[in-house]
Amino acid sequence: MLFNGVRAAAIQGRGKITVLGGREEREQTMAVSLRESVQRVSDPRNLDASVEEVFRLMLGIECKRDAGPANVESESVTAVVGFGGMLSGACVFRSGARTALKIAAQMTGMEFETVDDTVKDGIGEICNMLAGGWKGKVPELAANCGLSVPAVITGRDYNLHVQAPEFQLHHIYRFDDQTFEVTIVCDGIQ
Amino acid sequence: MGEIRALIVDDSSVMRKIVERALRQAGLDQLVVHEAGSGAEGIEVLKAMPVDLILSDINMPIMDGLEFLRQIRAQNLAQGVPVVMITTESSEEHVKQAIQSGAQGYIRKPFTAEQVKERVLPLVRGA
Repeated sequence: MLFNGVRAAAIQGRGKITVLGGREEREQTMAVSLRESVQRVSDPRNLDASVEEVFRLMLGIECKRDAGPANVESESVTAVVGFGGMLSGACVFRSGARTALKIAAQMTGMEFETVDDTVKDGIGEICNMLAGGWKGKVPELAANCGLSVPAVITGRDYNLHVQAPEFQLHHIYRFDDQTFEVTIVCDGIQ
Repeated sequence: MGEIRALIVDDSSVMRKIVERALRQAGLDQLVVHEAGSGAEGIEVLKAMPVDLILSDINMPIMDGLEFLRQIRAQNLAQGVPVVMITTESSEEHVKQAIQSGAQGYIRKPFTAEQVKERVLPLVRGA
């Protein structure tokens, strides 16, 4: 997968880790590689923690991983935020339209009847925070992996297909009677 | 506290509203908000009107938040106005870049209204 628009500024300083320690600032430059840390990067608990944090802090919702299956709605909303730099891939959020409306309402304090631009914007921002939160759990990724701006897809009866990723996490989460899916797809790692 | 004119720069209109709500919850009830969807739009707002506080995202299309910061310093816009970055980017490298570019505060998304209060109010009081 190729995602355009990954922030160049966000991936500047690749291969460089800066450690701030009290008043003193020391900078270490080292060859950073995630190749030997795939297990750490793909730890499913990082994704669960990121989802729970975003929903608790931004929506005031306690949401938990669920064994599934996810609720099926014909109309769905998918948001995609691309990763670039040390890890390439994407964070994908997908829910039915009713769940998306509920999330947007909780974010904004407004009621929505259709998936309009505000709802799409809100779901894109949720995906952005999930992607940022997930990569932030691994310090090397936080500093050396940039995020694209979110893309949001709406429609009926479509599937997302990724060809042979390096690894993939696919989790279903539940709050109240709503479910949504979050997928981390990694198709390249340095 | 008197009237505070805040510029909120974020490509997400929903996030701009959430930041505005958090500022009001923090006690800035006499708040006049100007919004911009990118750093470039933020520059235009600053050329047109004075503000007392700037809150900006980093990852934005057209002109990102760090370039926006550099531009307002280079063009002597908003001199002495506190700038707080609100962003999903949380690495020390990003914080360091923001501070070096002229930001006085940094809030990581997702955030709570309490965090906004703790990090923004002292800057506004000190402005």
